[in-house]
Amino acid sequence: MQSEPLVTFNGVIKKFGAFVAVQKLDLEIHKGEFLAIMGSSGCGKTTTLRMLAGLDAPTEGEIRLSGKPINDLPTWQRDTPMVWQSLALFPFLNVIENVEFALKMRGVGAKERRTRAENWLERMQISEFATRNIAQLSGGQRQRVALARSLVVEPEILLLDEPLSALDAHLKVRMQSVLQGLQRELGITFVYVTHSQSEAFSMADRVVIMSKGIVEQVGTAQEIYRAPKTRFVAEFLGSSNIFSGKSDGNGMLATPVGKFRLPQDGTSPQKGRSTTMVVLDTRSHLSVEEPGSEFDFVHAKIIGEEFTGATATIYLEAEDGSELRVQKDHDTLAALPIDVGQPLYVSWRPNETHLVSDA
Amino acid sequence: MNDFNRSRFIEIGLRFYVVLSFAFVFAPIAASFIFSFNSDRFPSIPLGAFSTEWYRAVANDPLVWDGLGNTLFVGIIVSVVSTALGFGAAYTDFRYRFFGKPVYMALALLPPTIPVVILGLAMLAYLSRINLSGQSVSVIIAHIVICSPFAMAISRLRLSQMDPDLEAAAWNLGASEWAAMRYVIVPFCLPAIFGALFITMAVSFDEFAIAWFVSGLNETLPVKVLGFLQGQVSPRINVIGTFVFVTSMTLVIIAQILLTRQTRETPAKD
Amino acid sequence: MPADPYFKKTSTRKMLGECPKMRKRISLYSLTFSLPLFIWQVVFFVFPLAFLVALSFWTVKNFRMQPDFDTINWVTMYGRSIFWQSYGLTFAMAAAASVITSILAFPCSFAIAFKLGPKARQLAIFMMVIPFFTSYLVRVYSWQIFLSDNGIINGFLALVGLEKIAMLNTVFATMIGYLTLCFPLVVLLQLFSLMFIDRTLIEAAHNLRCGRLRTVFEVVIPSARVGLVIAALFCFILSFGDFVSPIYLGGGDPTTLSILITDTTKSGQQWPRAAVIALTMIGTLLAVAFAAIRFAYKGREQ
Repeated sequence: MQSEPLVTFNGVIKKFGAFVAVQKLDLEIHKGEFLAIMGSSGCGKTTTLRMLAGLDAPTEGEIRLSGKPINDLPTWQRDTPMVWQSLALFPFLNVIENVEFALKMRGVGAKERRTRAENWLERMQISEFATRNIAQLSGGQRQRVALARSLVVEPEILLLDEPLSALDAHLKVRMQSVLQGLQRELGITFVYVTHSQSEAFSMADRVVIMSKGIVEQVGTAQEIYRAPKTRFVAEFLGSSNIFSGKSDGNGMLATPVGKFRLPQDGTSPQKGRSTTMVVLDTRSHLSVEEPGSEFDFVHAKIIGEEFTGATATIYLEAEDGSELRVQKDHDTLAALPIDVGQPLYVSWRPNETHLVSDA
Repeated sequence: MNDFNRSRFIEIGLRFYVVLSFAFVFAPIAASFIFSFNSDRFPSIPLGAFSTEWYRAVANDPLVWDGLGNTLFVGIIVSVVSTALGFGAAYTDFRYRFFGKPVYMALALLPPTIPVVILGLAMLAYLSRINLSGQSVSVIIAHIVICSPFAMAISRLRLSQMDPDLEAAAWNLGASEWAAMRYVIVPFCLPAIFGALFITMAVSFDEFAIAWFVSGLNETLPVKVLGFLQGQVSPRINVIGTFVFVTSMTLVIIAQILLTRQTRETPAKD
Repeated sequence: MPADPYFKKTSTRKMLGECPKMRKRISLYSLTFSLPLFIWQVVFFVFPLAFLVALSFWTVKNFRMQPDFDTINWVTMYGRSIFWQSYGLTFAMAAAASVITSILAFPCSFAIAFKLGPKARQLAIFMMVIPFFTSYLVRVYSWQIFLSDNGIINGFLALVGLEKIAMLNTVFATMIGYLTLCFPLVVLLQLFSLMFIDRTLIEAAHNLRCGRLRTVFEVVIPSARVGLVIAALFCFILSFGDFVSPIYLGGGDPTTLSILITDTTKSGQQWPRAAVIALTMIGTLLAVAFAAIRFAYKGREQ
């Protein structure tokens, strides 16, 4: 898969007045990959996508598409169709006219236009709505029209700006598999901007996590989930217990809630250095008795419980007020006294931890 | 009287007051309509016989026909030009931010708030200075000044209902700015553009003061009416008034229908 | 909370108020849309008003106007007591008209805003718009029919055996004319500010034992103050500049400033003096508008 990149961002900076939306972005997007850019609102993910589409111009740096710089190419001369969060379907055109639009703008003859558009309607299973008004369609049907409208020009890359955020949960999952199937079938590049972890992790080959205009981490879903690189990513994913303190230089981390063993990966930080260590909530355990010496642990009180299907997440508060979480299946939890205010030990094996940078 | 009765009394009183207000507003309009069919030269009650003689008198007055011709000529040009100008300004406001925009917007919207006598005098003095007074074109120029703000307001309202991504989506699909204007912005605004055409024509149709100052011999119909008013009492005013009322209302109702016509279909369920 | 997704869109650029779509601000394309109206209003709106200023310093010799820079017109006009009489009268009448119209319109707009259902309210609004598209001249002429010595009202009075009342060519008739001109606009403007009042405010006031009438004065009017003042301001502007009612209903006596302008302009070449009157009127209107808006927003920062 590591062929020549389709898109390259080279030190791209985007400023809106004094506000820096994207800071020094270096990123390669490969041919045929499904890339998700994830982050909370205002992190620069949409701006990145819009710069690629040619809707915003970079303040500094260079964007290349298929090796050619495209900074000065207006959006209508790029083949970078986008699916909008609002979908932006033309309300005064019917379904098939919407799909034909891009072909019409490229000077494709009326007959060929119709055939190609019909083809795509069929592919998206919306042929029966060809002459309907946009206002008459359901959310899912609109989504399909928007996809057909962008894909009809058979681009090498498709940009998607939170296209599913408007759908209800059930439909979202269905559309996710439609998107994934489509991307595999066409073999083109999808760049998918979202704030939703589940969307990004379930669909994308690679995920880019951005915060305040900076790329925090790039990797597969597994890589990011298992080993968040920065404190921000760990917090953003929200599935780890995070401990900050100072390294004592002997492989131990001194935190307000106790002294813990640092991971033994040969990168032990020097003495006195501020260090942050994380451990996944699924790799953390609960017990009434003090755990054995193969574990490190914190004493904490339960403050709440959240059911998430087959498992539940227990939230606890340590003596210094910091929050901890443990995810377990219901059978395990049934053996424990789960009540608000109940003191328990939260423990983990030192080799399950790893360090993150304090961004 | 208990509180409940008291509030009912107030409710009925207020409703009656609304009816009374409309009676005041529509009394002159209705009277003009009724008396246009009255045979007496000096209108009063009791009414005289039903008659269409004043309609015939107006129809046989070549000056009235001249005035009507001028009014239509002026009205059509004014509506087309001011709608084009107003739409352009509305689009500018919708899409661009630039230094001095408040000044631009003030210029685009202020003219109707200047008293017509003052505008009439200023126009007359200025247009005669550049040898443009006393012609139909002077009325056209002046009317475009006061009509384009209406066209601008109507177009701007429509643009504000548009998803701002729509234009960018068109560019993204390969439409140049001009093509996006032609295939997206204009089609979206079409109802408002027609609405503006009719409303501005109606405004031009009724405007008499500035037209009176600058028109010279090429008087429009309302200026003719002003002339009739200065002369003796004449039921012909009622006839023309009724005619102008029916015409303007037709234009306004067409505009109204165009502006409120929207797809009312409910979306399908998934 | 399924908010309608197709109309919401927030992103950084919009939060910052940046226009997203500009590559080049000044292009043939942007100028094609922005310039025509700008040029038109500069050439045919700003220039005429500016020319009015220049004109007020011109002189008239042998019935011909000459470009000049002479304050004679200002001195002459401002030296005449008739001018100041007219000025005072016009101002007083316009002020009276805006107070009277506002007071008479308020119960009507209040009732439409709070006592009518949505359908009836829409109809009422549409009906209030209709007068804008009927000729003001024709309506004024119609009032002549009502008010004249042998007109409809006196006809009724005669039928019930009462004496005639002279109404035409009085200040009362002029006021009827101003009311005809302004009433629908004032109702609409008042209505729009009343409709935006949070109804729970009124309920809260009632709940706190604030009486009906007291609620109107303590809650409704203060909440709608901006709209009410703007409505009165528009009434003032319209009445101040109107020449039709004072002539054809008020009989042209006493003379208002607008009558002075039309007389001076239409008979003879004393345009520079008319310009002095017009500029004085504009100055007055600006001052009044400024004061009114200050008053409307007083104690309401931003």
